[in-house]
Amino acid sequence: MKVLVINSGSSSLKYQLYDMTDESVLAKGLVERIGMDSSILNHKPTGKEEVTEVSEILEHNTAIRKVLDMLTDPEHGVLESVGEIQAVGHRVVHGGEAFKGSVLVTGEVKSEIRRLFDLAPLHNPPAIMGITAAERNMPGVPQVVAFDTAFHQTMDEKVYLYPIPKVLYKKHHVRRYGAHGTSHEYVSKAAAEYLDRPIEDLKIITCHIGNGASLTAVKGGKSVDTSMGLTPLEGLMMGTRSGDLDPAIVTFVMNKEELSLSEVNSMLNKHSGLLAISGSSSDMRDITDGWEAGEPNETLAFEMYEYRLRKYIGSYAAAMNGVDVIVFTAGVGENSAIVREKVCQNLTYLGVELDKELNKIRSGDPRRISTPNSKVEVLVIPTNEELVIARDTHRIVQEEK
Amino acid sequence: MNFKRIGVIGGGTMGQGISEMLAAKGLDVLLVEETPEKLNHAYSMIETSLDKQLEKWAITKAEKKLILSKIHKVTHFAELGTCDMVIETISEDLDAKKEIFKQLDQVCPSNILLASNTSTLSLTEIAGSTMYPERVIGMHFIYPVSRINLVEIIRGLKTSESTFEDTRRFVEEVVDKRGVMVYESPGFVTSRIICTMINEALHVLGEGVATAEDIDAAMRIGYQFQYGPLEMADRFGLDSVLAALERMFREFGELKYRPSFVLKKMVRAGNLGVKTGEGFFKYDKDGDRT
Repeated sequence: MKVLVINSGSSSLKYQLYDMTDESVLAKGLVERIGMDSSILNHKPTGKEEVTEVSEILEHNTAIRKVLDMLTDPEHGVLESVGEIQAVGHRVVHGGEAFKGSVLVTGEVKSEIRRLFDLAPLHNPPAIMGITAAERNMPGVPQVVAFDTAFHQTMDEKVYLYPIPKVLYKKHHVRRYGAHGTSHEYVSKAAAEYLDRPIEDLKIITCHIGNGASLTAVKGGKSVDTSMGLTPLEGLMMGTRSGDLDPAIVTFVMNKEELSLSEVNSMLNKHSGLLAISGSSSDMRDITDGWEAGEPNETLAFEMYEYRLRKYIGSYAAAMNGVDVIVFTAGVGENSAIVREKVCQNLTYLGVELDKELNKIRSGDPRRISTPNSKVEVLVIPTNEELVIARDTHRIVQEEK
Repeated sequence: MNFKRIGVIGGGTMGQGISEMLAAKGLDVLLVEETPEKLNHAYSMIETSLDKQLEKWAITKAEKKLILSKIHKVTHFAELGTCDMVIETISEDLDAKKEIFKQLDQVCPSNILLASNTSTLSLTEIAGSTMYPERVIGMHFIYPVSRINLVEIIRGLKTSESTFEDTRRFVEEVVDKRGVMVYESPGFVTSRIICTMINEALHVLGEGVATAEDIDAAMRIGYQFQYGPLEMADRFGLDSVLAALERMFREFGELKYRPSFVLKKMVRAGNLGVKTGEGFFKYDKDGDRT
């Protein structure tokens, strides 16, 4: 079965085409600047030359049509006809409490995703646009949606509720939902496979640290706690997001600086984190360069980032009463040896022993970076959210048949 | 109608605010002024306003750049022919506005909406200067445009239902503000009520009942206004307040709209409020009280 995976943003659309017989990627690409007269379609067919096309793509419907044209193009394409695509999988950021796993798209599913616009005003609307566009261009082809929040729906009430008046949960669904679920699920399973141990027996802490960052405590294959909350602002210090802070700071600063709701929101989401402390960059590569050069601001930013990350690992070890595996993934987690080294340096109380040489090796494969003596396995596992979506889509469509 | 490109005529306070707000919503803006000098001044004022927002963490540097890149400087009306809507924001001078609408009527295809940001003038009269009055409508934004989420949508006598519907959709869905529908009447709802209150505050000041500071504190703290009536007048521009009151006084013929002598004196002295640095209070070049 050939499955097209789509990840639609408000002005972009990423895609990957899988052949599920061997889970190989036939082509992948990205449409950027949707809504402008010079939109860019970048298409990478496996084994062929990459192409970039600039044209006017005003909405998602046209974007999908262009992608399908590209996939069936005699020169750059990988398909004879669009009919070969037997299923489409979409990434949706927020599934609320309604979705505990991936599901087949129906009218009811779409209205539920729409009801969740309130909780994910920036992310859910483009997902619906992508679904509608795919339906129009590929009528009759089954579609599946995978949610970033679904994996965390196994969290206990005591974990997902905030200690604030319960009426806010009942009225406005204020609770912790988490994010990056597809990634945490993928790397925790891949870790168990890599170690060749049943996931049911493992206590895993997965660190998805990229531009946005979250940690998940995975016990017996289930998410029991995760660091992001109602929105992706909670938890770790990130590139431009503050992560955890005293909530009273919000009202205090609003009052002192006469800030509006949108200003304080933007301050915490776009002007905080590494960017705020370093004063120069939100990118971990720049921060570590500065730290190596002895720049005081970058050094402080790095130390705060590492400290907060390490505290979360400790708290999740406490949450699960132990930890067997720590997994690093996503941009920073997969590439920054120094972040991994510094974090693990002060986790010796857990029995973590890092092999510094293994840690330094760069590779795109899952790998162990702890010593044979280490009581905790420390792994680096490149994440692959698209593959999870493709697998779910394949499985659900097969079951329907 | 799909709104992508909007023309804004006039780079004064309102023209700047409307251009900036539209660009921030992702629309392309063609900003029109008579001369390149005026155009550059308006553009630099928008830049200053964005810098202030940057300081308050409302936007990022990248967002500032993106917003500015959406604002295109234009000195010829002919270029407005490609817009989906044109909003006129020049000063409240009926003859000047009529002249502008007459020209717009010639360069813009007849399905393009023509809106005026007038706060007091007759839409029907402005529309009267065009061949297609059914596409002329009033869209009264309130200062500061980016923060005040209200627009009065004013129907002239000949404004068509589809023009009104398209405008309402533009206001509520594209720029995401609350639209209130108003039938033509001098001062509509907002200016009529607020200018009368400002005028009353000026009478209170003129009679020596309380100081400017105390009048403003009374209303600001007592009734949760963001600014007191005198600071509000300074921010609108005292000349604009005077013009609005004079027009309402003339149109309604009622004494309650007669502008206070304090206001007339201030305008004659050239103390017009924030834009001249001094009105009832003093301001720095960023518009903050000193």
